[in-house]
Amino acid sequence: MILEVKNIDYAYKTQKDKKVLDQVSMQFEEGKFYTIVGSSGAGKTTFLSLLAGLDTPISGSVLYNGEDILKRGLNYHRKHNVSIVFQNYNLIDYLTTEENVKLGGNKKPDELLSEVNIPKEAWKRNVLQLSGGQQQRVAIARALASDAKVLLADEPTGNLDEDTADEIIELLQRTAHELGKCVIVVTHSKKLADTADEVIRIKNGSIERNGEMTN
Amino acid sequence: MNVFQKAWCSVTRKPIKSILLFLVVLVISLFLLSGMASKTASVKTQDKTRQAVGAGLLLETNETNRHKRIDEISKRIGEGVEGTLEGVHKVRFDSIYGESWGVFTDNSFDTLRLEDIEKLAEVSEISDYNITTKVTPVNPVNFLRLEDADVDQTTDFGGVSLIGNKDMQMDANVLTGNLSIKDGRMVNSGDVNVCVISEELAALNDLEIGDVLQYNDYHDRENSTVYEAEIIGIYHVRQYMTPLMSGDTFRSENVIFTDLHFPEKAEGNENDPLYERAYFKVGDVNNYDAAKEKVKAVNIDWERYDLIDNNGNYDTMSANFNDLENISEILIWVVAIASFLILFLVFVFWLKNRVQEVGIFLALGVPKVKIIGQILLEALMIAIIAVTLSFTVAPSVSRVTADYLVAQQVRQMEESKELNAGHVAIDSFTRSEQQITGVSVNISTQMMLFDGVCILALTGLSVITAGITILRKKPKDILSEMS
Repeated sequence: MILEVKNIDYAYKTQKDKKVLDQVSMQFEEGKFYTIVGSSGAGKTTFLSLLAGLDTPISGSVLYNGEDILKRGLNYHRKHNVSIVFQNYNLIDYLTTEENVKLGGNKKPDELLSEVNIPKEAWKRNVLQLSGGQQQRVAIARALASDAKVLLADEPTGNLDEDTADEIIELLQRTAHELGKCVIVVTHSKKLADTADEVIRIKNGSIERNGEMTN
Repeated sequence: MNVFQKAWCSVTRKPIKSILLFLVVLVISLFLLSGMASKTASVKTQDKTRQAVGAGLLLETNETNRHKRIDEISKRIGEGVEGTLEGVHKVRFDSIYGESWGVFTDNSFDTLRLEDIEKLAEVSEISDYNITTKVTPVNPVNFLRLEDADVDQTTDFGGVSLIGNKDMQMDANVLTGNLSIKDGRMVNSGDVNVCVISEELAALNDLEIGDVLQYNDYHDRENSTVYEAEIIGIYHVRQYMTPLMSGDTFRSENVIFTDLHFPEKAEGNENDPLYERAYFKVGDVNNYDAAKEKVKAVNIDWERYDLIDNNGNYDTMSANFNDLENISEILIWVVAIASFLILFLVFVFWLKNRVQEVGIFLALGVPKVKIIGQILLEALMIAIIAVTLSFTVAPSVSRVTADYLVAQQVRQMEESKELNAGHVAIDSFTRSEQQITGVSVNISTQMMLFDGVCILALTGLSVITAGITILRKKPKDILSEMS
């Protein structure tokens, strides 16, 4: 078990009386591919943000390797423990493909870019000159550049056509199964959800794990 | 990638943003430098003006001491005794009302002592000096004077006024800029039997340079000796000179400037001059105070005299140019405050456009301080280039700014003078004519240093102030804004 949430509560600032997550607990393992599904506003992205250390729960804790992520600080957690892939790629627009990958960590960008099938001639180009699918692959390469054992992705195929989405799904699966990382993906896509080792559904503040309620 | 590499990429690969900030900083830096340069330029103009007008010291008779001396000499002549002693004359008058006594003085008593004047002129800081006689009424023999037809002339002397000068260039009317030569030249040291008349008198009598005017004592128009003086110049005054007394004898147009000794001859007192004032020109205005002290240290009977410095002039001018200094100072402050606001808004706008980038870096685990640090570094890179360029352009811009400010000041003074035209006469060293030919501006290393520090501090402060809005936000909120 690499990542664990324990009895977390979360409510939006504007609706403090309505909990989005209510006493949720969950454990994630390395080498597994998880998908988080649920209706819009159910709290999927919020849950992912808590796992990523981008936000903090009202109560409860997020543990990495059994240690509360607050202990070393959220910046440390984001830098060393997790890497994040967003729906809108979130690449730095004034850097090249290669330079964007370098931001993720110390691994060699050429190897990573080859791994995610970015043609060599695109490596030195400004990243915004790449197609949407290529940009998302660069974002994944950036996520893989770090030694983080957890890869979090928020709707990674949301902006992509079907063929490209399939390529990204395959890439994420490989990341989990071949690189041994814990991949957690928030998605609306049934197709993507179906490929997961484990599907987590968020509904009414609770988590349903492959059909089993966890709280 | 380290922070410097990222900052450099951002600066060079987003040129429009960089150029915008570059121009803003360049303009701010130029304004600051111009303000500082104008401030020092004004001081230089003050000194130059003082030099042009003639920093000097004026020697006049002390009136209190004069009366005291008359009383003392009168007593020495004796009670109820007529007599003359040291230029004081005591006379008895008998009339139907009985006996009365009068005391009057002659030129030998009232004049400044020539030996005292010469002693003061020997002070090393004094570069030149002038002696001016009293206003001497004399009778015009072969020409007409200007008269007001509506005024009863029976009480007037019926004469014209002579003012003798050793060197007319240093006469008070010339120094103050009120009097200028229209034709010919002024009286110089060494001239004998020459005069400079007003343009009005010349027009009335159809006189020109080279004509000879005749004068004699107005007390005895028929029998007194007639003296001749050649016209060497015709003068023009901007404002009429204040008459010594009422009556057309003393009106401005009837004032005639002569060589130093002519008035005493024309009034029938040859070799008995009455020197009313002496002017000592200080060679180097920067040594003005030292010169004054040295003059005061000269061993003469100071109780007889008043030593007047001509700070009347200086004060008038410095008042005008202190305005320039004040305006420059206000300019500096306005630029500093406006710069901060402009830079602050520029960076608020800048950071708002970079919220996505900030969110990405936060998601990658980059601390907020490092993110702001990168933006600050970018701003400083651009600011340093802009400030450096401003140093090369600043001298030209400062000159234009200073010229403009001085032109405004001069225009203001001229407007004020026009308002006073016809109301005020010039009679002493207390008024002056402003003549500014140019402004000297200099951008010193100290100014550059100050400017550089100010701009960098303002940039840093603006980035940090604008960055606080981001530093206060949670990463998730920033990422929400992104989406």
